[in-house]
Amino acid sequence: MTSLAEATGHALDLLLAGDAGLWQIIAISFKVSGSAILLATPPALLTAFVLAYLRFPGRRLLISLFSTLLSVPAVVVGLTLYLLLSNQGPLGDWRLLFTQSAMVMGQVVLAFPILVAMGHAALQSVDKRAWETARTLGASLLRAFFMVLREARFGLLAALLAAYGRIIAEVGASMMLGGNILDYTRNIPTAIALETSKGEFAQGIALGAILLLLAFTLNGILQHVQGKGVPST
Amino acid sequence: MSRGGHFHVAGLRKRFGRRLLLDDVELHLHETSCTLLTGENGAGKSTLLRILAGLEKPDGGSFRLGRRLYPSWRKARRSLQKAVMYLHQQPYLFDGSVEYNLRLALGGQREGQEALIRTALQWIDMESFRETPARTLSGGERQRLALARAWLASPEIMLLDEPTANLDTESRGRTLELLRGLRNQGIVLVIASHDPHHFEELAECRIDLHNGRLTHLAPRGAGTVQSAKVIPIRQGYA
Repeated sequence: MTSLAEATGHALDLLLAGDAGLWQIIAISFKVSGSAILLATPPALLTAFVLAYLRFPGRRLLISLFSTLLSVPAVVVGLTLYLLLSNQGPLGDWRLLFTQSAMVMGQVVLAFPILVAMGHAALQSVDKRAWETARTLGASLLRAFFMVLREARFGLLAALLAAYGRIIAEVGASMMLGGNILDYTRNIPTAIALETSKGEFAQGIALGAILLLLAFTLNGILQHVQGKGVPST
Repeated sequence: MSRGGHFHVAGLRKRFGRRLLLDDVELHLHETSCTLLTGENGAGKSTLLRILAGLEKPDGGSFRLGRRLYPSWRKARRSLQKAVMYLHQQPYLFDGSVEYNLRLALGGQREGQEALIRTALQWIDMESFRETPARTLSGGERQRLALARAWLASPEIMLLDEPTANLDTESRGRTLELLRGLRNQGIVLVIASHDPHHFEELAECRIDLHNGRLTHLAPRGAGTVQSAKVIPIRQGYA
């Protein structure tokens, strides 16, 4: 086993030399997680809006359900979808298991409750007069919806970044649904798990550094935009 | 309501739990009128205005806007939201500049937007505030901006909930001047207030909401047009 210093040096070499295999893994990670966020965000925002602005039976139950789902382990999501997508499962005919689509599905399921719960909190904090003012100014339902979303944009961006941070770093669902196939479904977390199990730390450290850099970047963006927010009155 | 028409509400009822807030309320608004709505705290003034603006559902009532009769609020809602503008006691300003807030009232309208915004800013004496974040304005400036934004949305009826509450004497005077301008332009005004004496010169008639019933108090008379800052007539208003 190489020393930590040696492995870190090697990791740096891999990153700087533009190692094709390494960057392919990074590209798959961003593609899968980016697709999942793009798919999950519109319905999640709509759900958050409905929960924040409409009153209907079962609303409180739904809010606590989404809050509970925030802490569901990724591996449980992976297992559930695995059972649904496997040959014997009800969705077996779709032939999605061990594909990027299955990984996207898993990450959508993981991101959705985060987006709904945090989005609901952000929209709830917007003054109800915003919606009424938008409507009395002649805005259509859709335009009024976007006007309210804009008022909650800092909180919504925080939800988006939190959800993205969670899914790009999760290993359980991706491993079970993607199968960790090289150049196809191997993403950053599953590659780190694999390389570590083989005792090959250099690539693991390099990929870990990318995840850390991403975490710093997302956090930096969040701090920046939240600093720009003017208190609502 | 077509301009030159009337706005009529009949049989309006609203109950909150066991309390009957509005009991068979009837209201008739004439064109180019300014009506003062008075009543104690919690009498239901704001609720009445919100129902008329299509923002809150009553338990019953029919509406007539111009020549069109709507047997229920649900059927009248869209027309109400189109024709009637409701201004909250503390107007909500969107997070953005003064100009951004004004542009929201113009919606998708492209033509002449710039000229309209300039006119609105001149009208409220806030040309130099164009880029100022709306939420940093003082109470009086906020009220003026809200009135300009409401004017840009071209409502036929404007319902104002305590428009001079918490304003100092100078800001109140400027707000009243703007309200006169709106009335002189032909916008029907209904002003809910605790302080009727502030609006004595502006309102032609007064209605009082008490125990869920509206009492029409004697009209002041001629409804003299007071001196007011002139707003250029917008297209469609003439």
